[in-house]
Amino acid sequence: MRRRLFLASAASALAGCGPIGSALNNNDNVRRILASAEGLNHFLIGTRGLAREYRDNDVDRHFRVNGFATPSDTRYADLVARNFAPYRLIVEGAVERPQTFSLAQLQRMPQQTQITRHDCVEGWSVIGKWSGVRLGGLLDVVGLRNDARYVVFRCMDNDGSGNLYYESLDLHQARHPQALLALRLNDAPLDPDHGAPVRLRVPTQLGYKSAKWIARIEVVGSFATIAGGHGGYWEDQGYEWYAGI
Amino acid sequence: MKVAGRQAIYRYPLLTRASHWLWVLAFVVLIGSGLQIFNASPNLDASDKSDAARRVLAIGSPADGVGTTTVFGHTFVTTGWLGWTDDGMGEKSAHAFPAPIIIPGYQDLAGGRRWHLFFAWIAALCWLAWLISSAIKGNLREMVLRPSDLRKLWPMQAYYLKLRKEPPPHGIYNPLQKAAYTTVLFVLAPLVVLTGLALSPGIDAIANPLTVAFGGRQFARLWHFVGMGLLVGFFIIHTFQVATQGVVNQMRSMISGWYQPQ
Repeated sequence: MRRRLFLASAASALAGCGPIGSALNNNDNVRRILASAEGLNHFLIGTRGLAREYRDNDVDRHFRVNGFATPSDTRYADLVARNFAPYRLIVEGAVERPQTFSLAQLQRMPQQTQITRHDCVEGWSVIGKWSGVRLGGLLDVVGLRNDARYVVFRCMDNDGSGNLYYESLDLHQARHPQALLALRLNDAPLDPDHGAPVRLRVPTQLGYKSAKWIARIEVVGSFATIAGGHGGYWEDQGYEWYAGI
Repeated sequence: MKVAGRQAIYRYPLLTRASHWLWVLAFVVLIGSGLQIFNASPNLDASDKSDAARRVLAIGSPADGVGTTTVFGHTFVTTGWLGWTDDGMGEKSAHAFPAPIIIPGYQDLAGGRRWHLFFAWIAALCWLAWLISSAIKGNLREMVLRPSDLRKLWPMQAYYLKLRKEPPPHGIYNPLQKAAYTTVLFVLAPLVVLTGLALSPGIDAIANPLTVAFGGRQFARLWHFVGMGLLVGFFIIHTFQVATQGVVNQMRSMISGWYQPQ
């Protein structure tokens, strides 16, 4: 009898965990305490070393499409129709020489190719071959001012409610040798569904850092005043800014 | 000291008791939040990248109202339990594990990750503090399975099965307890920590051999899940034994430290 009572109470205690967890999950203080692990992970793991690079026959020919829907506004449709000829990547903010880059200009800059694994926060992974301009190289071209701390990527895709996607990296992450502004995927120009004409690749962090459809790169001292203030669209929804784990 | 009029021994030092209950809390949170994270991609592949051809476990919903679980290619209908389940918002829908056992109790990957990554630290630091303290105090010696214990495993099991009148002679912990505790604390606990690290891109960049050692990122996710399953198995047996081997004495000893030998 006592045994059955004990097991029954243990089972109901476990079954109650979900609702209790939900209530605690929405408490601001609890959320802040739980989120403290991010700082520890960022400090201890950080962005060190190089993501593993694979061989050509490891590449997934059909790279899984994820994230927001491909932009469907007339401006983007026009860019696609004209093969991105009118596209200009704007680089501005805390830089010495703000400027714009056409796709042809980006293609003429030194290109890097990497075959790396894309690790989604949801848990799946896919391997792709990416080519493009090293982000660190582009930042050298425009020159960073002393007050520069973060590189913010403003994108053309939105969540369906008009909120544009954005992401950010600190300067250390932005200058990582594998942080890439990708122009090509699997030996072909980036197609619209994979973020054409320019997307980010950050293989040392989870996939949501690798923003697609980049329109503008803004170098800032702080991202506190941008959108929700957490440094990225998903970060504003509660995901970690440091996505190395 | 006497408890209930009989001689008692001080069996569990404070740090052991504190870490035990902190582990209980961390265990429950890590399982619930881990299942939340699993639900975001309810497949486990024995490979580096996602690969349907090497899928070991898939929980899904092929049609509205139907939940299925596929293990090594064999599909079972698990509607209501796995695949098509309670979503925590008063409906049933396509979710692998049901909302009442996931943390938070509805689909929230960001929330699940916050709980998981925080309590992973609690569990790991607790383990480290317990290990160092037990090693210094010498309690570890009583707990770790030794080669000389191996031949006592079956006699002890025979005693539990009432095939033998007396247990084989042993110290504070019997040989089966030692085997269970050694497996949990020195095999499964490190396994779930290392596999959890191995499936993280930041760790993979620092220590790629670790990820490779487990067969790649998806394979590490699979091992992480297997380790979780084995720990749940231990939890069930452990709880059953506490409940059947003098639950009051057992619970009191893990709260106050004083245990009354039978």
